[in-house]
Amino acid sequence: MVSGMILPEKGITMANKKSIKEHLAGAVGLLITLAAAFIIVLILVFLLSKDPLRTISYFFSGPFRNKFYFGNMINASIPLIFTGLGISLAFKSSMFNLGGEGQVYSGGLAATAVCLALPLANPFLGSIFALIAAFAAGGIIAGLSGVFKMAWDTDELITSFLISSALILIVDFIITGPMDDPTNNLLATSPIPLQYRFLKIYPPSKLDISLFFALFFAAGVYFFMNRTHWGYEMRMCGLNREFARYGGINVGKFMVIPMILSGGLHGLGGGFAILGTYDMCLKGFSGGMGWNGIAVALIAKNNPLAVIPAALFFAYLEAGAKAAMLHSDVTFEIAAIVQSVIFYLVTAQALYGLVSSKKRKAL
Amino acid sequence: MNPYLSMRGITKVYKDMEVPANSNVDFEVKTGEIHALIGENGAGKTTLMKILYGLELPEAGDIYIKDQEVKIHSPLEANRLGIGMVHQHFKLIGDFTVAENIVLGIEPKKNLFFVNREEAIKKVAEVIEKHNFHIDPSTKVSKLTVGQMQQVEIIKMLYRNVDLLVLDEPTSVLTEQEIQRLFETLRYLLTLGKTIIIITHKLNEVMEIASRVSVMRKGVMVATRNIKEVDKKELARLMIGKSVLFQINKEIVACGEPVVELKDVTLYQRGRQTPLLQDLNFSVHSCEILGLAGVGGNGLGELEDILSGLRKISKGKIYHNEENVTNLGAEALRNRGFAYVPADRLNRGSSLTTTVKENLIVSNHHSFLSRGVIKRKMVQDFVDTLQKGFSIDGDPDKPIGTLSGGNIQKVILARELAGKTDFIIFSEPTWGLDIASSQFVYEKILEIRKQGVAVLLISSNLDELLSLADRIIVLYKGRIVANRINDDTLDNEGVGEYMLGLRDDFARKGDNHGE
Amino acid sequence: MSQSQFTFPLIHNAVAIMTPILLASIGGLFTELGGMLNIALEGLLIIGAFFSVVFASVTESIFLGVILGICATVLVALMFGAITLYLKANVFITGLATNLFASGLTIVLAFQIYGNKGIVRFPNIHRLSTLDIGNLQRIPVLGDIFLGHNMFVYISWLLVILAYIVIYKTSFGMRLRGSGLNPSTIVSLGLSPRRYQLWSILISGLTCGLGGAFLTLNLGAFIPNISSGRGWIALVAIYLGNKTPLGVLLASFVFGFAEAFSNYAQGAINVPADFILSLPYIITVITMVGFSIYRYYRGLSSNHG
Repeated sequence: MVSGMILPEKGITMANKKSIKEHLAGAVGLLITLAAAFIIVLILVFLLSKDPLRTISYFFSGPFRNKFYFGNMINASIPLIFTGLGISLAFKSSMFNLGGEGQVYSGGLAATAVCLALPLANPFLGSIFALIAAFAAGGIIAGLSGVFKMAWDTDELITSFLISSALILIVDFIITGPMDDPTNNLLATSPIPLQYRFLKIYPPSKLDISLFFALFFAAGVYFFMNRTHWGYEMRMCGLNREFARYGGINVGKFMVIPMILSGGLHGLGGGFAILGTYDMCLKGFSGGMGWNGIAVALIAKNNPLAVIPAALFFAYLEAGAKAAMLHSDVTFEIAAIVQSVIFYLVTAQALYGLVSSKKRKAL
Repeated sequence: MNPYLSMRGITKVYKDMEVPANSNVDFEVKTGEIHALIGENGAGKTTLMKILYGLELPEAGDIYIKDQEVKIHSPLEANRLGIGMVHQHFKLIGDFTVAENIVLGIEPKKNLFFVNREEAIKKVAEVIEKHNFHIDPSTKVSKLTVGQMQQVEIIKMLYRNVDLLVLDEPTSVLTEQEIQRLFETLRYLLTLGKTIIIITHKLNEVMEIASRVSVMRKGVMVATRNIKEVDKKELARLMIGKSVLFQINKEIVACGEPVVELKDVTLYQRGRQTPLLQDLNFSVHSCEILGLAGVGGNGLGELEDILSGLRKISKGKIYHNEENVTNLGAEALRNRGFAYVPADRLNRGSSLTTTVKENLIVSNHHSFLSRGVIKRKMVQDFVDTLQKGFSIDGDPDKPIGTLSGGNIQKVILARELAGKTDFIIFSEPTWGLDIASSQFVYEKILEIRKQGVAVLLISSNLDELLSLADRIIVLYKGRIVANRINDDTLDNEGVGEYMLGLRDDFARKGDNHGE
Repeated sequence: MSQSQFTFPLIHNAVAIMTPILLASIGGLFTELGGMLNIALEGLLIIGAFFSVVFASVTESIFLGVILGICATVLVALMFGAITLYLKANVFITGLATNLFASGLTIVLAFQIYGNKGIVRFPNIHRLSTLDIGNLQRIPVLGDIFLGHNMFVYISWLLVILAYIVIYKTSFGMRLRGSGLNPSTIVSLGLSPRRYQLWSILISGLTCGLGGAFLTLNLGAFIPNISSGRGWIALVAIYLGNKTPLGVLLASFVFGFAEAFSNYAQGAINVPADFILSLPYIITVITMVGFSIYRYYRGLSSNHG
């Protein structure tokens, strides 16, 4: 027995009020970011447009003016939800999937290929196969980077980007070459059989039932990450891999699995886009979906449920820019400038007041 | 005689901390003395010295050097005022040479932009010569021993002509012999007229080297005494405000069967000829605390990794209760009842940004599953039980990083002792902990020993090792050089000799000693 | 300059093609040594490309165009660096933001100023003059490598040497490397790692300004997103080159050669253009994985044996 027992020192506990302060700081930061985006749009339009007021009005209210614009805006957010989910999941597991663009594109092509190869199948089953193919395409591509990382510690950030870049070119080739449909004047494959195309729910816009799938997956990813076995293990790996390994978690497995799931979600985004909106694999249809997925995940702070409003916000930005472009004299790319400002600000910790809190010397 | 250094009314408050790190602290150091600054973790001693060195700015208070008021805004200013600091965690760049590390920031220049390498080496060599260190200025720092690295830090300060040298926990990474060498150096510096402040919580060393001591507790300066007027008990009492007895009374418990056995275990690393571990043969019995000693880099870390399933061995076998468990991973070993309290608390033993709750369930989260989903109520009950049993202070839904060091260690202990364990590894279990938390840990270790668990205790604190262990083995260059019962014939010096390769009970004829 | 004057036109083209990659990677090397991941090289190249050709056209002077183009690039680099370092932002994200910004800004400006969202031609910009020394160019290999290039190529080599000197011989270089290897050491000496890191980003702005200028001034036109991945390849070149100036030079040559080869193959062999273009990426992946395997079996990687 150890003699002279001393009562343990009371550790200093953080009062609960701190968490409210944290939340407030976070909200303020987000507000600053959104306000800055707003202001940048105003500045750009005033500088670039000969009719600034008209342009601004179209930029901000354009997407709401009629069913067509509004529905299409919501529709545009669907792929972003998928890619945003894919990135969030990867980030939470501390894996960097930079190959989103290629994964979405390949997923779309895979879905198209399955549909074209099975022209007479049951619509329900056929669509499912197509989507599985889309998931598999994205999953395998990203999973490859995960395997390289697990086996030989190759940086997955760079390999996922490189593989994806190569694949984009290859898919381009396939669409404009062997799978090109000479009967239409587009750089695209033949249209997929009618029975596979998803039901439109808000004509005349292209909004289709993919929306419900997107919401379902968002909830699913949230549940998966926070309440299941695998989700817990992935999050522990993401927060501290050494700790996870020590605790008996197979960290190698959880380098590959998050990449597969992330790539798969991206692929699904592409698949749903084809089955719901494009009806054929158009060259470059997925441009920007991968990169924007990263932005969406950032704003959503990698929370799967927050991905939904974040994706909607981005879709709104792009829809506004499109409307302004169609009805006024500015070019669509101002959206890119606004998006970059958001990227900058959303990650600037100083705005969130998180900077100077001295970490307690926890030794 | 007037004091060399006088700090008056120093107050420092960090954001998000409820208690000020320094609260109206007065601190005086006389010229030519070695003054110890002691206190528990979080007492504020490092903060006070950081303020002195310009790394922090106080909210209030003044500093006087030789009766002149000074304002210190950066380490550069501190250097110019003759103040130097040797940090606890060395501020050295391994890839750079000794000379480069020493001149970094005040590099001798030629033609305005270019570093004058030859001049740097020459000047550094001069300083090294003058003070009788034996280090080649052109060696890469990464190739030096820990003791030598500390010497480089000291030389770095001497190169800047400091008169007041502050050392922050300088002995925490040194062996006995290296500590004595350091003390020699410090006494030598006194003869040059330097003044020394040493921050430490090791009372033995305070009694040995210091002439005066100042005690801080919870941000407040509690007392200053002449060494001749105090003893360890008094100092401890001042440090924590209560009486502490230093004896650990160990009951003699009958030793049991071997629980874990290593046979000819060898570990190679790709690209290296000499194995990291070589022909290890030993066993840990139930009801036994086997102490493992050795200098860092001699195989202890690797042995820790192997026995916790984080690393595979190249040759040999490991047995658990007579079954072969060689190279099973961490998960399998844990399922068999292995537990592990690692030295690296913050990276390996816990995940700082994760909640206390999630930290507690990492090794047994499978048991809370039902159809793949984690049951929240079960987890909560488990956490509550542990929190009570181990008196853990803190909100379980908060990140574990918000807890004090002692409480983090308790969380780790609680988790590791929660399951059915028959073998547990403790690595540096009380490093950096205050006296009260250390007592708690010792209690627990002895308790589980009595319950029949086989304990492997790895520690650089030889007092701790020799008080607790039933048997001691020492690793040197990956081999076991001692495997002895811990009796009166073994003391700190003796263990130190094994650790440095000066003694080897298992040497074969023709082996070279102490390479 | 007729191709047939060179013994190995492939090598000659490789050296020319590698120049923007080399320029970008020299700048990126500085940032990398300072401990920061710089993925903004791609965007900075675009800025340099656009503004140098625009200013050159407006001022009717190549020299002024390059100088002003570099100024613009350094300004954008300053924005990137300041936000990352002083607003404590995630360098990876701000890098992405910079690329997005550069792409959007240049297209918007091109549209605004020249009414054209596609290729903008500048008829008053002629091909850059090259160093022609007639017969010497026929010397095998050496002639192909060293002669017949425009000034950007030679400047890039100069910069490699300059980089070596600055990194290893100056106090700035030492402190920059220290900031990357162990920033707390730098802090303990009373210095600010951020300062050196910001300078490294500005340097990358300078070199990318030059690299971008090379792309457009040689062409006499601006193509949207003209950098087409070179910024990313520059990053890979830095890793492959083991973060040294010489290594970066060699790695850049490898990529230059790959692209030159794919150009050659497109003309000579009947393989689809897209496949050829994807080759550099695929080769890089294979090289990276091969490199990782090598490091793994040498016991150098963090995965234990």
